[in-house]
Amino acid sequence: MKNCYIHIPFCNHICSYCDFCKLLYCEELVNQYLVHLEKEIKEIYKGEVLETIYIGGGTPSCLTFNQLERLFHSLSILNKDKKIEYTIECNFESITEEKLKLFKKYGVNRLSFGLESIHSKNLKLLERKESRSQVKKIIHLCKFYDFYNINIDLMYAIPNESLAELKEDIDFVLSLDPTHISTYSLIIEPHTKLWIHHTRYIDEDLDSQMYQFICNRLKDSYTHYEISNFCKKGYESIHNLCYWKNKNYYGFGLGASSYIGNRRIHNTRSIHKYLDDQYILDYEKLKKSDIMSYEMILGLRLLKGVSKQEFRKKYHEDIDKVFSLDKLLSQNLVCDNGNIYIPIDKLYISNEILVNFLKE
Amino acid sequence: MADRILEKTGSISKRELKSQMLDDMDIERERGITIKLNAVQIKYQYQNEEYYLHLIDTPGHVDFSYEVSRSLAACEGALLVVDATQGIEAQTLANLYLALDHNLKVIPVINKIDLPNANCDKVIKELENIGFSKQEIILTSAKTGAGIDELLESIVQLIPSPGGCKDAPLKALIFDSIYDPYRGVITSIRVVNGMVKVGDTIMMMETKATYDVVGLSIDTPKEKEVSSLSAGEVGYLYASIKSIDDVKVGDTITLKSNPSSIALPGYKEMKPMVYCGLYPIESSRFEDLREALEKLKLNDAALAFEPETSKALGFGFRCGFLGLLHMEIIEERIEREFNIELIATSPSVIYEVLLTDNHKIIVDAPNKMPDRSVVSKTYEPYVKTSIFSPKEYIGPIMELCQDRRGSFVNMDYLDEDRVTIYYEIPLSEVVYDFFDKLKSYTRGYASFDYEFIGYKESDLVKMDILLNGEIVDALSVIVHKDFAYSRGKVIVEKLKEMIPRQLFEVPIQAAIGAHIIARSNIKALRKNVLAKCYGGDVTRKKKLLEKQKAGKKRMKMVGSVEVPQEAFLSILSTNNKT
Repeated sequence: MKNCYIHIPFCNHICSYCDFCKLLYCEELVNQYLVHLEKEIKEIYKGEVLETIYIGGGTPSCLTFNQLERLFHSLSILNKDKKIEYTIECNFESITEEKLKLFKKYGVNRLSFGLESIHSKNLKLLERKESRSQVKKIIHLCKFYDFYNINIDLMYAIPNESLAELKEDIDFVLSLDPTHISTYSLIIEPHTKLWIHHTRYIDEDLDSQMYQFICNRLKDSYTHYEISNFCKKGYESIHNLCYWKNKNYYGFGLGASSYIGNRRIHNTRSIHKYLDDQYILDYEKLKKSDIMSYEMILGLRLLKGVSKQEFRKKYHEDIDKVFSLDKLLSQNLVCDNGNIYIPIDKLYISNEILVNFLKE
Repeated sequence: MADRILEKTGSISKRELKSQMLDDMDIERERGITIKLNAVQIKYQYQNEEYYLHLIDTPGHVDFSYEVSRSLAACEGALLVVDATQGIEAQTLANLYLALDHNLKVIPVINKIDLPNANCDKVIKELENIGFSKQEIILTSAKTGAGIDELLESIVQLIPSPGGCKDAPLKALIFDSIYDPYRGVITSIRVVNGMVKVGDTIMMMETKATYDVVGLSIDTPKEKEVSSLSAGEVGYLYASIKSIDDVKVGDTITLKSNPSSIALPGYKEMKPMVYCGLYPIESSRFEDLREALEKLKLNDAALAFEPETSKALGFGFRCGFLGLLHMEIIEERIEREFNIELIATSPSVIYEVLLTDNHKIIVDAPNKMPDRSVVSKTYEPYVKTSIFSPKEYIGPIMELCQDRRGSFVNMDYLDEDRVTIYYEIPLSEVVYDFFDKLKSYTRGYASFDYEFIGYKESDLVKMDILLNGEIVDALSVIVHKDFAYSRGKVIVEKLKEMIPRQLFEVPIQAAIGAHIIARSNIKALRKNVLAKCYGGDVTRKKKLLEKQKAGKKRMKMVGSVEVPQEAFLSILSTNNKT
């Protein structure tokens, strides 16, 4: 176990599309939450040396300086590898010089910012507020405090968005020169504000065109390494790779998930239960066949795909014996170069391929 | 109504009463309709005399009108029940004429008078217009029980007691039969003359088959064993009859030892009017489907089926039905009672084709249509429809009938507001979505009924549908040549809507012979991806994929194209107007 996720489910404002586990910021609630989070970690953490810690949300950076300090203090019981990747998610409104200094002090070395778009029309729909000047100022500040490893989240396929707008968004992101870019087409999840307002998806063809456009635009300066993720050489998100490589991880906090041994564990999304120390909602014990399915449906998200050799090492079985690949190979839906992978032009329809890796 | 009569006569207590007591099938209760007729004996006290009434509850829908006519042949009188909120409908008139044909005493009843939108004065006027006097009409509410006593009194006073003589040779009409797994075929009989007892050896007058009577019973509506049934009575007879085919509904039962010399007139056999292919989605369930059809057939003599093979769908059955409702009900029963998921192909009527060698053949499926080069003439069945509607909808109704290749016959005004419009229309145009369209053209006010009038020459062609360049036999239809282009266009557009995008672009074409008359394309799938997937999402995302996989399983692989179940029937709704 080398990876750990910490969930901070608080935000100053709820975005219209967000279906993560989140709550509106409330100082007293956060204080209580931090107490129980520490309790949960102490109860479950076995003392392994961690290679990644990822503090996600919600908006972790919306906590006050003191609350953040309290959080980092609790996390100091986690043993860290020398080369640890230590990420915290931030938004541009809540970050301050003091908080950056605090991050530095506790060893955070990667920041992940949600930008989504810089067009006011899009931001209005998403109910977000960044401005170009503010974004530039904050990124500058981060770099001043020696945070070079920065991820920017960018959203596309927003209703009424044009390709020209997307191009401007990308150019703006590129001007910030981040080490990592995540791009997502907008998903209208059930029970979000967008869903309640019956927001419609943009046309499938335009959506796919936007995706191709992004891939092309980024391909010179970034490596496209996962369906939705791009990085400068050597700056893959090690933490997220642990998910896609089907590795174990701790997940602490409200609504977080862990994968420990062969169990996928889901924490409660009810703050009342969580504050009553009933952390776990349910868990699923995986059979070997399930684990191999996960290995493929997660691993095929990576452009490199799944190494046949590593698969054999891990499961003592051959991929092509476990799954029937012939038809997929003959239709060029997957390729084999020692790794089984989905060719880039089929990534955007990968579900059609992944269903073949589910057991009957 | 039947429920309330049972309760009022004490045949059943309020506690035992469930809604639609006589409708045994779930599907009847759910849809609020009667599919099978049901006969029940009621004991009724009136002015210190005990009367036995036999009530037969019949379906109202046109598909099942043969059930009505059979029942009428077993009765002395009929209650013509009109809904106080709807007024007279096309079936009201059709069934009234049937009853009059049988010389029955008809008692007009206006029901549902308790409803706030009931309009009794108007409905009384309508009934007066078709020849009833105001004094005859009985107002009831089956829901509240109002008027039911009066109705029962009228039945006793007005409907003649059955004639017939107990001592004459036995003559009993078989008006229905059902199959019971323990007792074999149970026949519903009306004894016209004489008496039948348990142990008698009976003979079917038409088939000459003989059986020993094992049991007799009446429905009260609890089944009650009796030792004999005599002239005037209605009940059930069972005699270890193994197959429903051995019993012809309409035949006359007599005694072998003392046979009657003449049989009762009986009725003409009901033949299926509409055919369609039924295929199991999972090919492995073909035998299960056969078993299901055989079981349903035991209680439904009008259902016909024979094995059929489709290149696209594999093994299935060509099934014949009385009409579209009958077809829908059978399909639904197979899916629900036997748990077999089905693909139904588009319904077809029975065509007649005169070949160039002067040989006439019957075509009940598009794929049996011979090549045009050997066809001399084609004929299709026509029906005379009577559409009953408020007069403001005459325009739209005529437009609809014209669209459906109908030719106008005449029009009758029932009163200044209501009109019956008669059209001769090809049956094939009626079995599609005619009724739905009629309802939407007239905001639900029109009702309709039809009767088969014979075959007429018509220029018919087989239209094939090609998916990805290959003919899908299950999608072929027979159409009138003049309407082929417009039909073809609508069908390809409809299929484009119904068939999801595939990994590659799929052309859809409609063709007559080698000639393509309409074309559309299903675009290639461009997006089906889980854009983001992180730690917390993993289980959920796998579930999403599993859901997609299950969805795919419900589709049929036709060549290289995944076609959803609904697409095969969707080509039915040919009209884009709503």
